[in-house]
Amino acid sequence: MLLSLFVAAISVALFWMAAFTLWWQMHAWRTPEILAATRFDRPEGGVGLSFSLLLPARHEQAVLEHTIERLLESSHSNFEIIVIVGHDDPETAAVAERAASRDPVRVRVITDTHETKNKPKALNTALPHCRGDIVGVFDAEDQVHPALLAHVDHAFTSTGADVVQGGVQLINFHSSWYSLRNCLEYFFWFRSRLHLHAKKGFIPLGGNTVFVRTTVLREAGGWDPDCLAEDCDLGVRLSSVGKKVVVAYDSDMVTREETPGTLMSLLKQRTRWNQGFLQVYRKKDWKQLPGRGQRMLARYTLMTPFLQAYSGVVIPLNVAIALFLDVPVGVAIVTFLPLITAMVTVAFEIVGLHDFGKQYGLKVRAVHYLKLIVGGPFYQVLLAGAAVRAVWREQRGRNEWELTSHVGAHLTEVTETREDVRR
Amino acid sequence: MTTTLPPAPDATQPAPAAAARAVATAAPAHVRPVIRFRSSRPDLLLCGVLLCVILLVQGWNITHFPTLSDDEGTYLAQAWAVQQGDGLAHYTYWYDHPPLGWIQIAFLTWVPSLVAPETMNVASMRFAMLAVSAACAVLLYVLARRLFLPRWAAGLAMALFGLSPLSVVLQREIFLDNIAVMWMLLAFCLAASPKRHLWHHFAAGLTAAVSVLTKETMLVVLPALLVTMWRHSHRDTRKFAVTGAITACALIGLSYPLFALLNNELFPGEGHVSLIDGITYQMSREGSGFILDEGSGSHGVLRSWLYYDTVLPIGGLAGAVLLLLTVRWSVTARALAGPALVVALLTLVAMRPSGYLPAMYVIQALPFLALVLAGGAATMVHALLERPLGRVLPTVPRRTGLAGGRLRARRLLRRGAFGAEPPTGEARATDAPTTGRAARATRPTVATLLVLAAAAAAYVVPRWYEGNRAALTADANAPYRAAAAWMQNEVDDPARTRVLVDDALWLDLVHDGFEPGTGAIWFYKADLDPAVAKTMPRGWRDLDYVVSSPTVRRDAADLPGVRSALEHSTPVAVFGAGEDRIEIRRISPAGGAQ
Repeated sequence: MLLSLFVAAISVALFWMAAFTLWWQMHAWRTPEILAATRFDRPEGGVGLSFSLLLPARHEQAVLEHTIERLLESSHSNFEIIVIVGHDDPETAAVAERAASRDPVRVRVITDTHETKNKPKALNTALPHCRGDIVGVFDAEDQVHPALLAHVDHAFTSTGADVVQGGVQLINFHSSWYSLRNCLEYFFWFRSRLHLHAKKGFIPLGGNTVFVRTTVLREAGGWDPDCLAEDCDLGVRLSSVGKKVVVAYDSDMVTREETPGTLMSLLKQRTRWNQGFLQVYRKKDWKQLPGRGQRMLARYTLMTPFLQAYSGVVIPLNVAIALFLDVPVGVAIVTFLPLITAMVTVAFEIVGLHDFGKQYGLKVRAVHYLKLIVGGPFYQVLLAGAAVRAVWREQRGRNEWELTSHVGAHLTEVTETREDVRR
Repeated sequence: MTTTLPPAPDATQPAPAAAARAVATAAPAHVRPVIRFRSSRPDLLLCGVLLCVILLVQGWNITHFPTLSDDEGTYLAQAWAVQQGDGLAHYTYWYDHPPLGWIQIAFLTWVPSLVAPETMNVASMRFAMLAVSAACAVLLYVLARRLFLPRWAAGLAMALFGLSPLSVVLQREIFLDNIAVMWMLLAFCLAASPKRHLWHHFAAGLTAAVSVLTKETMLVVLPALLVTMWRHSHRDTRKFAVTGAITACALIGLSYPLFALLNNELFPGEGHVSLIDGITYQMSREGSGFILDEGSGSHGVLRSWLYYDTVLPIGGLAGAVLLLLTVRWSVTARALAGPALVVALLTLVAMRPSGYLPAMYVIQALPFLALVLAGGAATMVHALLERPLGRVLPTVPRRTGLAGGRLRARRLLRRGAFGAEPPTGEARATDAPTTGRAARATRPTVATLLVLAAAAAAYVVPRWYEGNRAALTADANAPYRAAAAWMQNEVDDPARTRVLVDDALWLDLVHDGFEPGTGAIWFYKADLDPAVAKTMPRGWRDLDYVVSSPTVRRDAADLPGVRSALEHSTPVAVFGAGEDRIEIRRISPAGGAQ
């Protein structure tokens, strides 16, 4: 009897968790009107604002030049690019200096001299040098659409926003089974979920393609140099004091990125995000949010990685109990509830993958759908692993950006380094 | 404060007035009228008045007519078992139907059965079906409006559905089909939700599954629901909406086999019932012949429907055919493609030469017949008026369009009588075109229409008046009530008396103190349920009475135990006369005479 009650209670809790997550994940597709509203408005009239685009780069000489060139192709007429390089990274600095000498008006190089380096410190170093009305952040390997700035400009002027978050999309879904799921995660997050957060007034921002009014950013004191998810933290701090955030996603204007190169680097990246989320949660800035619903959303969102890990373990366990232990049939049916929501989620993911292929003109084959379904449980294990790892590291007070210390020694880990600098 | 970007211009959004003026002369764009039922006073008024009339006609004399049916008794008794906490039935549940239907009946009748337990019998609990009928009628009106029928046609559909003598007879009875229809109508309403909300479509899948689990024959209707949803969803969100609905429907539907599996009753096996056995039984029920083959059982069923009403079945079928044939040209036909398809599918299934056709089969078609009949009428009216229905052109605001009292009067007539006017202010800008072809509705056309309407009314009203007069006045259940009273008053020791009785009277006997299941025995269980047969090792000698109703006499042919009980008993009281009489027969050890 006690077992039945216990199992039923857990099942119902899991069911609601999964149902809410699904509800939020599908936000953009609720009605055609909402979907239409997630896009950038077409810019009309001239440009009004000036931009300072921050481009932190670390051991990224291979891609930096191309990124700068592409940014310079932007159709917007009033922007500067500030490349931030480390004092211990001459190769990247050389590439940056070369670009600056070609276009000294629009490209500048700032050197970050911090002993231990991370992205928020680099960004804070550059903040006093920004001359534009708007500060934008990109990563060294981002492919930015030329029309993006004009659209962002229009979004700022037409909505009076303090922050505009553009879409970021991982594209290489065909690389591996986990990159498929990783791409889809980004798709659902930037395409759909972030818009809900914007609407509710609580938003963890993304790491790049994020634009903030310079005055607002300086007022807020820039980025938190000790937080592992400085982007999320900035969003939480800004939205908690009532700053207006606008999110827009246009498939032809997203910033394209690639998934981490190995499973291990994905795990590390995810560990850092989770740990960052945990830090943001513990900083309690979100408690200033005026609405009770907003605070609940904040609490839930920042805890999601851990709830996810927990449900990944408990759902199969629950079903096993229902099938093999002697519980009443009614209770057994209840234990299937979380599984049902999980299956609905998978169904929506399949459609999401199809839509992703359509939006980006990519050919999604049957084998990819198969990978999506079969890979689900394994990805869940990965997420759970990252969540556990994050808690463990946070407990032991290990706050450093993983791997940054021994990066120069291993050229093979370049991808991981880049990844680390990015977020 | 944070927000998403303001919506990008959407082709389906009503164009603002200035833009509308610009395109007024251009190619007509299809603008969706917004129907807000809850804030539209004329809709609420019309629907409310019709509802009162329907409830009056269906509720008056509900306990006396039609004759209590065996099936009603079965479902209500099983609902009673659910209320008592005895599981899904007081005999072994054998997967004859999914149990959701009588679980709902149990909920519907819960409060009255707590307040006055003796009212838990078929006649009294028919009042619970009034709630279901009311819900169905309102949902049908909402659905008609959501499918862009003008107000008058929605009202017509609701009236046809609620007042047809065939509906009145069948909807009064405690049939699972009535409840399933309610859920299916809700599913259609959600599928045609004007908001085109993902979760409305998802909920449509859920309610469709509930409908199927209430009465499994609703499966046939699902493709038509899908068509409706497809038509009424937006291109950009359609794949999510439709996938969500199908997933929801499938997953909830699968809970029934899961239930069987968890009970270890999915697959056939020695010594237990199973879902597969139940399905096999239902599928292998002896066919009742081809419906158009005179002399077949199915033909008899058809005749019984047509006896009560020809307008709804024949007219509805004609309406469906008309709509399906004109799908390419008529906007109404496209909007009503789903309901018309329901009628077509149900007709095709009824036409199976070898299928079994129960009398309640037509119940699931009734609302859709009414809807397509009203829709067909609307199509014809609008064809005569040369004004496409549901297609609302962006045009000059109405006030500047026409002037003069006479014109305004005509416009009001047209709008009130035939217009698909969206009731809210915001949609009004896109309302009824007042220019071009629409203005051509001439006096002769209107006169023709009035004559047609008068002729239709002259045909229908007397017939329905006659049909419903019987439903409102006849007392078909006096013998049942008398038999129940006799058993209550004349049997001395009910707790130790064993009676074979049909399901319709069973609950009355239970309230009198007979032992449910083994004292008051569903007559056919004596032959068919091993658990019951075990309690009567000496066959008919272990019984005291048989209440011989028409059903008992009819089925006794195939039930040797019941037959011998009838043969070895003598009537001690007879109520009614002829075929419909009810005899109370006492088992006489010496053997009785017929």
